Amino acid sequence: MSGQGKSIWDTLENIPREVLYGILLVVFVVPMIFPLGLPVPVSANVRKWYNTIDALPTGSVVLIDFGYSGGGEPELGPMAVAVYNHLFKKGGIKVIAMSTSIEGPQLWDKAMAEIRPERYGAQYGVDYINIGYITGGETAMAAIGKDLRATTSTDYKGASLDQYSIMDGIVDAHSFDLLICYTTGGDQSEGWVRQWYTVYGTRYLCSVLAMMVPTMLPYQNAGQIISVTSGAQAGEMETLVKVPARGIKSADVITLTHILCLAYVAIGNIAYLSKRFSGGGK
Amino acid sequence: MSTTLKKTIPVAIVFVVAFVVMMDYFLLTPPLTEAGKSWTSTTVRDLQNWGVILTAFTLGFGAVNLFYFHSKHISRRTPNQWQFSLWLLIVIVVFTVTGVSMGPSSDQYNWLYNASYFALSATVYSSLGFYMTSGLYRALRFKNVESGIFVVVGVIVLAKNAPALTVYYPILGTWVSFISDVLTTSAQRGIMIGGALGAISLGVRTMTGRETGFLGKMTEEERGGVGA
Repeated sequence: MSGQGKSIWDTLENIPREVLYGILLVVFVVPMIFPLGLPVPVSANVRKWYNTIDALPTGSVVLIDFGYSGGGEPELGPMAVAVYNHLFKKGGIKVIAMSTSIEGPQLWDKAMAEIRPERYGAQYGVDYINIGYITGGETAMAAIGKDLRATTSTDYKGASLDQYSIMDGIVDAHSFDLLICYTTGGDQSEGWVRQWYTVYGTRYLCSVLAMMVPTMLPYQNAGQIISVTSGAQAGEMETLVKVPARGIKSADVITLTHILCLAYVAIGNIAYLSKRFSGGGK
Repeated sequence: MSTTLKKTIPVAIVFVVAFVVMMDYFLLTPPLTEAGKSWTSTTVRDLQNWGVILTAFTLGFGAVNLFYFHSKHISRRTPNQWQFSLWLLIVIVVFTVTGVSMGPSSDQYNWLYNASYFALSATVYSSLGFYMTSGLYRALRFKNVESGIFVVVGVIVLAKNAPALTVYYPILGTWVSFISDVLTTSAQRGIMIGGALGAISLGVRTMTGRETGFLGKMTEEERGGVGA
């Protein structure tokens, strides 16, 4: 019989995936419904990002690339919202959004619905604007860096850029004091380094998926990016900006699911090593 | 088609375009305009905008190609395929008609996107978490020295990424800084420098016509190989 002689270590070493998934689901859902309010420490990179925006003088112009897709929104969306809240709260900063992702305009609309710029007194076309999706990836980055108005003449709704006061004096990459990119793709996050930082020396902040951070760290350590953060750190940004939202809520979930993963690794290894030392392993 | 049309002219165009773009990157070529721009700067600006327009065109071309490809499946009633092909074409038509008639930033288009593609896309991506957890449990085993190192590093990074744990165990931050800033960065730099050297080599080969992959299917003779 298949179950005969099966030790506790055998059972723990081969927990069915349905059980693993079930426990994960419970650990995921419970803190979403009943937040635990676990502490959210602010990391050095998030603080550096916050301080960079905080130090922007009045009248600065910021370009934001909504370069993420719908799949990455649950991770990167809260970070984009928290940073926009910071920019609007600070005031006096012109924020120009664009997208290197085809879904960017829709995700920008989604973020704006969450931010509600009107509560900060920010006006579309005066304090912020979205110039839409520009095709071509790195070619688009290079093109708008060289001559933004030659690349696109309308905002994401198709209205002429000339009618918006925010676009007065915006010519090329030299018109921007800071570049921010949220992306689920390495082509975008690294492309901005190649097409803007290297050519024009534009100061650059980048937020990517957590699994992409190791790829981006060499750029930060070389001083090409001021700060690289993962979208999962949105809770830290919300803490600094003092506008709690989705990021803080998901911080509890992130902590608990990571602890569960550690428990899974521990159980798997204890079972494996116990079996091996008791002579049952290979 | 002659080799001149199929290879020589395209390679010559690539060489000239790449050379002008590189000149603009490395040199400030006189005469300068009043705005301080050189002739290469304005030429490259136009070339880049052509690139943007061509990419936009390829998106439309891709949609036409999808129609062509999936229409064949529908007309042939390909088993286990034609229903999905039909559904794909319906979705393309619905999105295109809504986007063109009401605008891609209209409430109707946004509703369509949020209620269908966005929800599905976020769900599929999020479901990876379950597979990763199961994979972690099965693969992260202390079987030998190499996998042991992997387990130790993995556990430290996992613990550091749990926000609350770093409050109670601040030493995790120091350990992960060493792992990411020293170990990961040095390995990544090696990979990136290797990749960049490869890209330079590919660029030179493409400019000189030794790399012909971008020209499509060619015979050995057209490639300039044996028998040329």
